[in-house]
Amino acid sequence: MIHQIITKIDQKFNLPEAKAHCDVPCGIYDPIVAQINALTVVRMIDLIHDLESKAMGNRDTAYFNSMTRYITVKEEHAEKAKNEIRVIWGDYIKAQHVEQYPNLPILVHNIFQLGSRSRQSVDRAVAVEFVETINEFAEIFWATKGIATKRAKAPYAPALDLVYPDL
Amino acid sequence: MKVTGDSLLPDFMNGDFVLLLKIPFLFKSLKQGDIVVFKHEDYGTMIKRIDLVDKRASTVTVFGTHEDSIDSRHFGPVHESDILGKVIWRVKKVS
Repeated sequence: MIHQIITKIDQKFNLPEAKAHCDVPCGIYDPIVAQINALTVVRMIDLIHDLESKAMGNRDTAYFNSMTRYITVKEEHAEKAKNEIRVIWGDYIKAQHVEQYPNLPILVHNIFQLGSRSRQSVDRAVAVEFVETINEFAEIFWATKGIATKRAKAPYAPALDLVYPDL
Repeated sequence: MKVTGDSLLPDFMNGDFVLLLKIPFLFKSLKQGDIVVFKHEDYGTMIKRIDLVDKRASTVTVFGTHEDSIDSRHFGPVHESDILGKVIWRVKKVS
């Protein structure tokens, strides 16, 4: 009743607004996209080495076509993984999370560096470390939401361990 | 004033009306948990809950309850001179 009366007054006199403002409140953040992108980087490195070993010095146009595609996908997915982490870091992580997990800024910085190194080289160990560091980030991310995590092998090559929410 | 946005859910919701204590406004009377309306140069007139009152600096730290709330975690403490009033009455939106 009172609300209806004030609504009428608002319609006539346009009462001032006080914003209980949120960012675009979709609230949908999930590090799994970054994890899968990083896993793809490892997969591309495996394919690159496999192609090279099978070529045995005989590099034809098909070889160059495949190699170019593998490298391109590796480049793209390393950058996509970095960007996914960048979004969660910038839009979701708050000061209180950093207070609770003080190693978080270093972890994020390491992810960015490992992503760049994964683009620069075909060192599988670096790419595996890229996956693992994002896994550590995922564990913290879910912990900030009070959600337990579990580790399980990805059901596709290269079948590395990924962190999943344990729902 | 009319509340827009959902950062203070479930206590305040989009479409509620609030009555403010504005004049005379005593900064000293503010305490943690009070709901205040203040102006911000980027976000306009905002409504948030006080988390901390710093009487020496004449500022308050404000938070929303929603995890995506734009509040002191983004723009820092709010100065006394920017506070327009304290909410003393809420008229809940009829759903």
